[in-house]
Amino acid sequence: MTRQSEDPITSLYRDSFPDFARMIRRMGGSLEEAKDAFHDALLIYIERERARKLNLHSSPKAYLLGTARICWLHTRGKVPISELPEGYEAAEPEDTNEEEREQSLLESLVRSGKKCMDLLKAFYYDHCSMQDIANRFGFNGRRSATVQKYKCLEKVREAIKTTQAYAQ
Amino acid sequence: MRSELNEVYLIDQYLLGRLSKEEEQVFEASLLLDEAIAEKLEAQRTAHRLIRRYALKEERRRLEEIYQLLLDEPDFAHKIKTI
Repeated sequence: MTRQSEDPITSLYRDSFPDFARMIRRMGGSLEEAKDAFHDALLIYIERERARKLNLHSSPKAYLLGTARICWLHTRGKVPISELPEGYEAAEPEDTNEEEREQSLLESLVRSGKKCMDLLKAFYYDHCSMQDIANRFGFNGRRSATVQKYKCLEKVREAIKTTQAYAQ
Repeated sequence: MRSELNEVYLIDQYLLGRLSKEEEQVFEASLLLDEAIAEKLEAQRTAHRLIRRYALKEERRRLEEIYQLLLDEPDFAHKIKTI
């Protein structure tokens, strides 16, 4: 059941998640675990698709169910790292002091300039064209969007340098 | 673009692997000669990591929203309840 002009991820979600949740239930997992693994797999799917690195040999649904199953098995410690799908680190948090420092730096960057972070995400993660970015963020053409992108990147970079100097 | 932004641009092209072999060699030589550039490169690498972290967080939030919206659809909610 796909609605017109609906976000394809929503349709894929509606179509795939109930089957996946049932599969995990049969394997002894909870609904919450199923949702976490399903989101991990969707993140891999979305990132690869936007980077145009998604080579599907089957339907998006089959790919998603297969990936989500591996993600779930991994949380149960049943899958060695070497068998994880490419891009899995996308969803894998590391835990170090560095991690915490970056997390709090990110929070302060979002507080002081969410628009900059959204613009940078649109370019580096969503792989949007500069023209799309100009339209979406209300810039007067590609050139001014490009200048703004580098200003934002510089701002993030300088915040990182300041935090690092502070940490030393 | 002002010259500092040109530098941000150059470092970015390097990180994204978009420089020609020759430009890359020139850039790597400048890293050895100028410690400030080397520092900027490392900070910019971290910036890329932060942007990705932010993106993943936003996408996770969006997926959670999609799930909540789907739960409002009786058909989906019924399937989830009866798994």
